[in-house]
Amino acid sequence: MRRLLLAGLCSLAVLFAAKAQDTAQNKQVHINTEMTHYPGDPSAHAFMIGEYGSASVQYTGDGGIRMYYYYRTSIKILDEEGFKFGTVEIPIYGAETIFALSGSTNYKDNNGKWVREKLTGDKIFRVQENKYQSTIKFAMPSLKPGCEIEYTYTITSPYFDSFHSWRFETDLPKVHSEFQSRIPVFLTYNISIRGALNPTKSVSSVLPKYFPLGDKRYDCRFTGVSMDNIPAFVREDYMTAPKNFTSALYFDLAEFINPNTDGVHKVADQWSDIDKRLKNDDYFADQLKPRSYLKDRIAAAIAGKTTDLDKARAVYVYLQKNMKWNEAPATGSADIRKALDKHVGSAGDINLALVAALKAAGVNADAVLISTRDHGVLNKVYPVITDFNYVIAKADIGDKTYLLDATDPQLGFGMLPLRCLNDQGRVFSLDKPSYWIDINPSQNENTTYTLNLTLQDNGKLKGTFTNYFKGYAAYSMRKVIKKFNTVDEYVENLDQVLTHVKIIKSNISNLDSLNLPLSETYEVEIDGLENSNDNRFAFSPYLFNKITTNPFKLADRIYPVDWGMPSETKYILQVQLPEKYTVENPPEDIAVSLPDEGGNFVTRYIPGEKSFTFSHVMSLKKSVYKSEEYASLKELYNKIILAEKTEMVFRKKI
Amino acid sequence: MITGGATIAQEAYDASLIPKNLLPYASAVVRNSEETVEVKALDNVVTTVKKAITVLNKNGNDLAHIAIWHNKNISIKSVKGVVYDAYGKKISKFSEKDFADVSAANNFSLFEDSRIEHYIPSVTDYPYTIAYEYETRSKQSLDFQDWRPNRYNNMAIEKSSFTFICKPDFNIRYKESNLPEKSVIANAGSTKTYTWHLDNVKAVKEEPYSPNPYSYTSSVKIAPEKFSYEGINGSFTNWRDLGKWEYDNLLVNRDQLPEQTVAYVKMLTKDITDPKEKARKIYGYMQQKTHYISVQVGIGGFQPFKAAEVDKLSYGDCKALVNYTQALLKVANIDSYYCIVEAGGNKVSMLDDFASMDQGNHVILCLPFKNDTTWLECTNQKIPFGFLGDFTDDRVVLACTPNGGILLHTPKYSTQTNIQSRKANFLITEAGVLSGEMETVFKGVQYNNRESLINSSETEQIKELNNVYPINNLDIEKFNFKQDKSIQPATTEYLKLTARDYASNNANKIYFLINAANRNTRIPKEIRNRQTDFYINEGYTDEDNITYTIPKGYHLEKIPLNVNITNPFGSYVAKMELRDDKLSYNRKLQLVDGTYGKDSYQNFVDFYEKVVNADNYSVTLVKN
Repeated sequence: MRRLLLAGLCSLAVLFAAKAQDTAQNKQVHINTEMTHYPGDPSAHAFMIGEYGSASVQYTGDGGIRMYYYYRTSIKILDEEGFKFGTVEIPIYGAETIFALSGSTNYKDNNGKWVREKLTGDKIFRVQENKYQSTIKFAMPSLKPGCEIEYTYTITSPYFDSFHSWRFETDLPKVHSEFQSRIPVFLTYNISIRGALNPTKSVSSVLPKYFPLGDKRYDCRFTGVSMDNIPAFVREDYMTAPKNFTSALYFDLAEFINPNTDGVHKVADQWSDIDKRLKNDDYFADQLKPRSYLKDRIAAAIAGKTTDLDKARAVYVYLQKNMKWNEAPATGSADIRKALDKHVGSAGDINLALVAALKAAGVNADAVLISTRDHGVLNKVYPVITDFNYVIAKADIGDKTYLLDATDPQLGFGMLPLRCLNDQGRVFSLDKPSYWIDINPSQNENTTYTLNLTLQDNGKLKGTFTNYFKGYAAYSMRKVIKKFNTVDEYVENLDQVLTHVKIIKSNISNLDSLNLPLSETYEVEIDGLENSNDNRFAFSPYLFNKITTNPFKLADRIYPVDWGMPSETKYILQVQLPEKYTVENPPEDIAVSLPDEGGNFVTRYIPGEKSFTFSHVMSLKKSVYKSEEYASLKELYNKIILAEKTEMVFRKKI
Repeated sequence: MITGGATIAQEAYDASLIPKNLLPYASAVVRNSEETVEVKALDNVVTTVKKAITVLNKNGNDLAHIAIWHNKNISIKSVKGVVYDAYGKKISKFSEKDFADVSAANNFSLFEDSRIEHYIPSVTDYPYTIAYEYETRSKQSLDFQDWRPNRYNNMAIEKSSFTFICKPDFNIRYKESNLPEKSVIANAGSTKTYTWHLDNVKAVKEEPYSPNPYSYTSSVKIAPEKFSYEGINGSFTNWRDLGKWEYDNLLVNRDQLPEQTVAYVKMLTKDITDPKEKARKIYGYMQQKTHYISVQVGIGGFQPFKAAEVDKLSYGDCKALVNYTQALLKVANIDSYYCIVEAGGNKVSMLDDFASMDQGNHVILCLPFKNDTTWLECTNQKIPFGFLGDFTDDRVVLACTPNGGILLHTPKYSTQTNIQSRKANFLITEAGVLSGEMETVFKGVQYNNRESLINSSETEQIKELNNVYPINNLDIEKFNFKQDKSIQPATTEYLKLTARDYASNNANKIYFLINAANRNTRIPKEIRNRQTDFYINEGYTDEDNITYTIPKGYHLEKIPLNVNITNPFGSYVAKMELRDDKLSYNRKLQLVDGTYGKDSYQNFVDFYEKVVNADNYSVTLVKN
């Protein structure tokens, strides 16, 4: 997926590069005035005629240097639905500044003449979103179907280690997209291109003595990448971060030589460099020390616990109960002690505190840096510290390894929330070299519904429902129940939702024992049976979570289906029949399997003497299904829906 | 009460002191709330809020969330608070520096100059109590926020009060609703004080199909007689005066247009004599020229951009686009009224007995043609001329005219007008394949049912149609949409489709659902001890007439479906008949808008249970 762009691809490139100097800023955008649709994508409401960006380092005059990101685009708007591309938001971080923002709309006036309306300064707004981020917002004037908008701006940034990546593939189809960088040799970036699309042109060269600084002139490295005819990116359901699939150009700072002192600052070259940096990092290594105040705080929680596992569990629960997650992902913490005092913090505050507290309790624990699902899959080609956005804890107890995240009070010990289930993480032990670890879900999502019913002579069904939730199913169910103020209110609501069913008695166990399966037992009476009709009536056992429509509608799929974890749902129906009744239409047994042992769907009907048992098991054994497996997954759902549609008909013998 | 108040107050927040009868359905309990508004001068209004809320579990956290709105006219003077544990023991305190300040712009606005300071307590042990107080100063005395002590579900109240303080010569009008006691008014020399109380109120849970919350929760609305707003003074005691003030101060002289535009509008309409046809032409021009973008700056979002500015930019918010349309119409000598309305899916009217500034959130245009009043929604480029839809239909609005404000009622789309009428001819094979053609006409407020779909690309349309119809394996071979954009508009959808496995074949029997396209699957949940009236906001009629051609040599096994139910709030008919190989299915569901007693809600649940059963009737065909 990710490949390195090698410096100096060929000698021809140098020639091209020399010519290409500054072309980004001078290139005239080609305008095709009469287009009414985009031939490359008839469904497009707008398309980009051309998009140009460049990055260069410039001397600011005050002794400092800044990165300058130039951007220019030209968009053809085809219909009213495309007007949304005429409203622009540009995020500005921290000390970044924006200048030379201008734009205009070309449109046909009432007389059919092309006129240009400029974007004026008083219609450009700056919104301070929070302390660290503001947004520049503007709406292009005079939008009409068929108009063309252009805008350009330059952002200057003092942050050389968070280079703005260039996204070729966005929600707009593009005729042409091009990015050029001219970086002095004292800054070395690892440049990579991700995604499925191939560049139309890719050049790399050296521009001799290109960058003046003081009385010296430095060589610059030139990189130019362009793509033509880029399709729009279309999101699909059940997929991970679009970033994992869209084509983009990434720059990651590897090395910086101070031009004043010639001192070399290696930012990242190898994992050992990152290990060394983190080891001395106040926001990371320093927070992980098992300080004495931590021992005091967890003393009561681990009192009387003798095994490491019991201690680890107690420490985990202590953090879950005492810390509220502020929804911020983070890889470090400014001060875990302060966060503990405030009872609120980022994932960095909470999980680094967890690692430190585990250590303080004598448990072997390390921090694991990861990238969450919406942040994208980690690059494995070379180390990039900014690819990580979250930290979790790893505890090694006996011969077992537990991955822990204390940000969610409903998670059992050893379970990670869905957002963390993303490929691999990197373990930073501080005293050992760092290494990759697989992040697999420790549990599945398993649900069993057991309906044990006796048909009465009067046509009513009486008996019990026993619902059993394991792993991620228990986690989700606990969240559902906790939405109510009390368990009684939850049961009352369920009783009201299940219109045919009267709940006589209920019992919910292990609601707060997060490491155990959750179970619900209901004593029920079912009457008013559907379509009751003289001497027969129909009954559907799918009272909970009946699947009526296929989650997969489209004929084809481009990206994998990613559920995060395997799952299994079982229905078991046991019915005692009185003398007078028979089952008119015993369901046929079904067995469907997914290829490559990916899962199956099986139903069985076992008649007994004055009774029967019916079971229905749907099992999805993989977390991720490739696009090639999509058709069979869709068909499996089709079979399940057909099966859940059929009702059982009880008939009174006459 | 007088001495040692501080220590007594702290212990008072012990959660166990909450009366037991306030606990059912409560996620949080307001222990004490004192809201005070003091008008010190027309341009100096001080609001003080003191609250203590006990949060019983994590669902109550949102109820303890503090959000203070501010902009250049409202400044925050002070804010502080304390958090107590379950026993009423202080655990921490907070001040303004702990608040986050964020932009108040909602997701449909490009820009607003309002901001919100907010704070969420971070306590992980329940119950806990948050006690806080803040003061804000506002430079205007036109618009006072309503006091709504029990507006939230799942929140009980021990004690709450609202005090309004002003000079004796500052006259107010007020409207109190659903309060056990009327206001207490006290005159003390240089001030006049109005006080309201609401104590010992149990928490209520959300009830579906309930009416406008103002009709059953407590509120006090206050309007000034004399006021100052952004340096403009004014006075009103009724809608006529308020409408007049708005016209004279916010709207007048904002209608100048560039000469070319005036000339163009004249040219456009020169061959048309009927004023309504002229208006239609101008509206069409406005629709293709402009689009909606919300920018809220300057006079608090009450004053439109000038027409000339919209002409230049081709965009604006509802006020700007209505004002612009009004200006264009004026060129053709067509009068129109700028009308303020509370828009939204629920019908909310201006109170005819109480004029105040805060009762609308949107603006539409009224053309008072003789015996043919016509209404225009100016923020939608696709909506037919003269059609409002369910966003602003059937409610009282304020027209701001040169002669003052007038209350007008927008058109109502009735149960009989809001039609979705479907005809289909399907073939069902022994292998279970369904195929055929289906045509559906949408009228009244249902005209909009396919609007977003029509404006999508073809791939999105096919995906969306698959979501609309509960037919698995739906393969749409052909489809199209036609729209009649008259004042009584209609959308017609045509589909040619096939779906394998629609019917299942098992031991010489064929099973399939009789209602292929419009099945209700959800019964509204039962509510024991319902508190609120049962309310249907918009009536409608759905008709489905399907003819299935079935394989030859089969007969029906069960007694054919035949359901016929009538209630004051609605009716349902579903029946089927087999003649030779033609199985016909006719279904009609009607809901009648209106407010019904809370006791009828159970009848509604029972009604829907029968509808759901009948909608999901499964046909069984047996081979002869």
